[in-house]
Amino acid sequence: MDTIVTAGKLNSNEIFTLLKQFITEVIGEEFVEEMDISMESSFNKDLEMDSIEIVAFSEKIKAHFGEKINFTGWLSNMDIDQLIELKLGMIVKFIEACQ
Amino acid sequence: MPIIKVNNRDVHIQELNTEAPETILLVHGMFCNLSIYYFRIAPILARNFHVVMYDLKSHGMSEKITSGYDLDSMTDDMIHLLERLNISSVYLGGYSFGGLICLKMAARFPHMVKKLVLIDAPNPNDDKTRLMMDAYSRESLESYFNGPGQKKRGKRLLDRKHRLYEYIFQETTIKKDVLQEREFFSAGEIRRIEHDTLLLYGAHSPCIGAGENLKEKIRSSALFALNGDHDLPLQEPETIGNMMDMFFRTQPAQA
Repeated sequence: MDTIVTAGKLNSNEIFTLLKQFITEVIGEEFVEEMDISMESSFNKDLEMDSIEIVAFSEKIKAHFGEKINFTGWLSNMDIDQLIELKLGMIVKFIEACQ
Repeated sequence: MPIIKVNNRDVHIQELNTEAPETILLVHGMFCNLSIYYFRIAPILARNFHVVMYDLKSHGMSEKITSGYDLDSMTDDMIHLLERLNISSVYLGGYSFGGLICLKMAARFPHMVKKLVLIDAPNPNDDKTRLMMDAYSRESLESYFNGPGQKKRGKRLLDRKHRLYEYIFQETTIKKDVLQEREFFSAGEIRRIEHDTLLLYGAHSPCIGAGENLKEKIRSSALFALNGDHDLPLQEPETIGNMMDMFFRTQPAQA
């Protein structure tokens, strides 16, 4: 069960580790083991996540950070090409700025 | 992620702005999922409405089901979902095959639908749709995704898509069920629909004729040809979201 965590600010490495954990939960450990996930990894090209998996990933971010991170609001300003090209590092920066 | 039991089956739903008094229910198309609305269109609608999106059976993260893809069964599923969510009536929006489900819903259960938006809903009598289903193969899927103008997809993504198509085409009754709906647009029930209906079609979509057909049959309807083809929700999400929002918020004209 996802829970909202109200602990203090996370640094970029901690956010990155958390997001990697979410990705593992969504696409499965067997796929993640074959990947070299970095800040430069893009969701579509590198992580090969499809749209419904990105929905599941977004929900995990919302469930973890709650109201203070308007993740879907941020995504809603992007067009489809920007979403496809979205890199993990951009999300880390966004979450860091919102905290 | 909310997977709820509806009529003893797992259904994936997403909701936005649950505090709003009125609800919009959004229905995606065949081989698609709720993400078609989730990222761009639903956030616009959620400024003023409670928005519910759900994955149709065997799609997205909902449970795989082998039968019941005819429009009666698909609207029965919708009724069960609304009962489960305790919602008595909704503004309804559907894309492609989802548009046909919404149309059927307005015909069968008019009291549960406040207004209707159909986005590039095809005529089920259109041969092109059925030929596409018959011609399906992994090769054609690969060429569709990686052909001119398409971004190269990785093996995992292609495998996932392939498994979905394989399952839906080969292991469910979908082909037979869709075929049995061929005369849907000719049925008298369409002409009896009285809801205010917004028809949003791609100006370059092969479905635009279906939009013109419905415009002629549904008394209180307006057709807009937007800049795009059948992928309209991906091409013009902001326009679609804003038009739907305005249409749903506008009071019907007094007779």
